[in-house]
Amino acid sequence: MNPKLFIKFVSVSFQKQVTYRFDCFVGIVNGFLYVFIFTSLWKALYSQFDTTVHNGYTLTAIVTYAVLVMAVRISFTMDDSIIYRKVMDGSIAMELIRPTSFFFMNLAENVGHSLFHMMARTVPIVVISVLLFDIYIPLEVIRILLFLVSCIAGYILVSMMNFIAGLLSFWFIEIFPFLLFKYAFYTFFSGGIVPIDFFPEFLKPIVALLPFQYMLYFPTTILIGRASLADAQSIIVAQLIWIVIMGVICHLMWGAGKKKLIIQGG
Amino acid sequence: MEQNKIAIKVKDLSKDFDISESGRGFSGKLKALFYRKRKIITAVDGIDFEIKRGEFVGYVGENGAGKSTTIKMLTGILVPTSGSAEVNGIVPFKERKKNAAKIGVVFGQRTQLWWDLPVRESFDLLRVIFRVSRTDFLSQIKKLDNALGLKPLMDMPVRKLSLGQRMRCDIAASLIHNPPVLFLDEPTIGLDVLAKESIRNFLAEINRDEGTTIILTTHDMNDIEQLCKRLIILEEGKIMYDGETELLKQKFVHEKVIEVEFYDDGNTIQGIPGVTVVREQGCKKWLTFDNDNYGIGEVIGTIASRYKIKDISVNEPSVESIIRNIYNNSAMLPTT
Repeated sequence: MNPKLFIKFVSVSFQKQVTYRFDCFVGIVNGFLYVFIFTSLWKALYSQFDTTVHNGYTLTAIVTYAVLVMAVRISFTMDDSIIYRKVMDGSIAMELIRPTSFFFMNLAENVGHSLFHMMARTVPIVVISVLLFDIYIPLEVIRILLFLVSCIAGYILVSMMNFIAGLLSFWFIEIFPFLLFKYAFYTFFSGGIVPIDFFPEFLKPIVALLPFQYMLYFPTTILIGRASLADAQSIIVAQLIWIVIMGVICHLMWGAGKKKLIIQGG
Repeated sequence: MEQNKIAIKVKDLSKDFDISESGRGFSGKLKALFYRKRKIITAVDGIDFEIKRGEFVGYVGENGAGKSTTIKMLTGILVPTSGSAEVNGIVPFKERKKNAAKIGVVFGQRTQLWWDLPVRESFDLLRVIFRVSRTDFLSQIKKLDNALGLKPLMDMPVRKLSLGQRMRCDIAASLIHNPPVLFLDEPTIGLDVLAKESIRNFLAEINRDEGTTIILTTHDMNDIEQLCKRLIILEEGKIMYDGETELLKQKFVHEKVIEVEFYDDGNTIQGIPGVTVVREQGCKKWLTFDNDNYGIGEVIGTIASRYKIKDISVNEPSVESIIRNIYNNSAMLPTT
């Protein structure tokens, strides 16, 4: 994949997002509402108990987690029905006649989409939250760098997850139920609502076998300082292993799906 | 060396589609929740052909005959159920990207341009996609602009172009990397006469000057008659004619029509071997004669010697009328 081409496609996809400015404004309000609801819930919960630390989180730590996991999640916004729509209207044909990798084109499209949401939604939400809530982030350069690397790895995993879900449209006419299912798994098992530390004991071993926690939970724990710098490195290694596993799944599904593809509308 | 002269080689190529049917009406749909009939449709059924470099081939057939499916297999979009195909020596469904770099594709009903971007930017993206150097790109654009008149369109967003303008841009887009093989799937669909004419002229020109191999599917038989020396007719996924467009007439036309105008309308045409009167209108008569067994000179000579003729003309049947006949009576015609 030609990096210059990748960047060009990121920019085309970014520009397309700019057209949907009203969407974006609603998105900021919506995102902030989530942050507000979750932080309020945690405050209410913590005030019920005499102990100040639960599952290793102080109130400040859990509020910081709630704000940052939301910030990461909003930055990871992508259109998960994009492949489905291309198959439905047959426009996927026009991409396949180009000497480009469908996977990387899809990734570039996602990156452009997400970059826009990061700039237009994540930044204002984080700024407002820092002003309103009691948030603590250890400011170490290495930690922040490791966080960024882990975020990129997490992002690739989310994009691969959506790619796999999207490819189902090669087999099924309607994939909306799968997308709902995926959404539920992704938001919950990634630690997008509650950190994995708060999960019931019986769920933890199951979650450990799934890739979702590497998408939002682990990158966030690196930034808020719950993971040590040594932990952070092993987290990134585990993420890379998952990228390889999911990459193989993407590759195999693409190979099998091609044979099933029907171009709608002639 | 011989191998290099062949642009496209197709052998026993087939494509089945697996269609699951959902029933009709409420009860049918309800049943379909639990049980669906699976139906296999053979869109392309064991076709063979070879196309040499520099050929201009018309690929025609009724809707659903399998034309587009063939094109989609040759461009690497669809994977065939069985059989083999090579384009420029590359197997398209195994090495889609490698194949895509060496072909140009236009699907008349779709666009490969970016809807929201100005034409110029779409072209520039394609330049990067196809790794065309800036100098080659500029000279190619200049050439395309001369032939297709792109300049006034360059800064317009694609969604604002008319169908004819968009088609000119799409054809230009398919040629930015100057591919040796060009696939055109109904490029003149919905265009007016002038737009069609300018596109035809351009296609004839690149075929002649650049030696570009062109495969054209169309429903417009004027396209075929003006451009394609060779014609492949597809029916229900099978090839039913593959040969020169001119020879199609010899093969399928066994009757010719002569239009004669006499000085008076009292003539009864009788007793000329092989000739029958099909229509009369005043002094004008339309006669058909058996083209296989009687020469045209002989027939006209006999008529002229017996009657006083004011005007005479022999009507060549159009390719369209021949193909219409083939579609209608395919069961009766000899297979090729």
